[in-house]
Amino acid sequence: MSVGQYRSLCQKYNGKAVEIRCHDGKIHRGIIQRVGRNRVYLQPLGRSRNLGGFGYGGYGYGGGWGFGWGVALGAIAGIALLSLFWI
Amino acid sequence: MNYTYLDCLALFGVGGAHPGGLQLTKEIVSEEKINEQTALLEIGCGTGQTAAYLAQQFGSTVSAVDSNNIMVDKARQRFSSLDLPIDIKLGDTENLPFPDANFDIVLSESVLAFTNVFSTIPELKRVLKPNGILLAVETVLEQPIPNAERDNIVDFYRFPQLLTEDEWLAAFKKAGFQRIDSTKYQASLEQIDEQHASDFSLSEYIDDELLEILETHEEITKQNIDKLGFRVFRCS
Repeated sequence: MSVGQYRSLCQKYNGKAVEIRCHDGKIHRGIIQRVGRNRVYLQPLGRSRNLGGFGYGGYGYGGGWGFGWGVALGAIAGIALLSLFWI
Repeated sequence: MNYTYLDCLALFGVGGAHPGGLQLTKEIVSEEKINEQTALLEIGCGTGQTAAYLAQQFGSTVSAVDSNNIMVDKARQRFSSLDLPIDIKLGDTENLPFPDANFDIVLSESVLAFTNVFSTIPELKRVLKPNGILLAVETVLEQPIPNAERDNIVDFYRFPQLLTEDEWLAAFKKAGFQRIDSTKYQASLEQIDEQHASDFSLSEYIDDELLEILETHEEITKQNIDKLGFRVFRCS
């Protein structure tokens, strides 16, 4: 898929929890907060590797600024909605 | 600050924060006769995903109440952005801001377990019309567990009690419900679509401590997969 297609998919999934797989093998899990021209910004769902947070190479851009972190749309290889379980 | 699991749901603004999510809600209400004349109350409405669905799908008179003011704000925003005339109130499920015999259906989606059920269930009975129906999706203890494990669950979720299915049935009966049907809900790992996925309306600042709470929640639910089960109770 093209950058434009990933941008519209991210817009469609705005406010949802997703797993984004990148071409370099990194996996990001978080809630889509906003979609920019070139990046999608996520609120991480946890601090551990499993939940896509700290202590893991994927963490970067803007963490702790209240914007989540940005993943370049061009780096994305796939996006899936996360099925989360709540009590 | 020590946040609770429910604070975490409020600050993340999780829509459909109950077992089965919106998909199960749709299945439950599809079994009922609901139309424009039906007066519905959703307790512990959270960000209002279910209440909005009920109002849109059936055109019923929907009221919603939650005890968390962040949730009430987020639900109000949802209803106003969808232009839905839902009566939303900040209130306590043990002392509801509604008159007696007011509703045809009361819906509780993983709410009773977080309250003192021995005060809440009679209160729901009070606001229901004499032939009204209570629909509740709740956590049950499936098998005896060591006290330490039980304490761990109860302390984390701040459950005032953790009931077995039989204890739930007894509590409903005691409050005057005569017919109670209990259906087991089995969590499925099916791929979810965007219509049914939890939606989030995030607060501006998400403390790192909340991320730890999400992790603990995930650990507890995984560790106790055979011990914590879920039921849909239909009480009339």
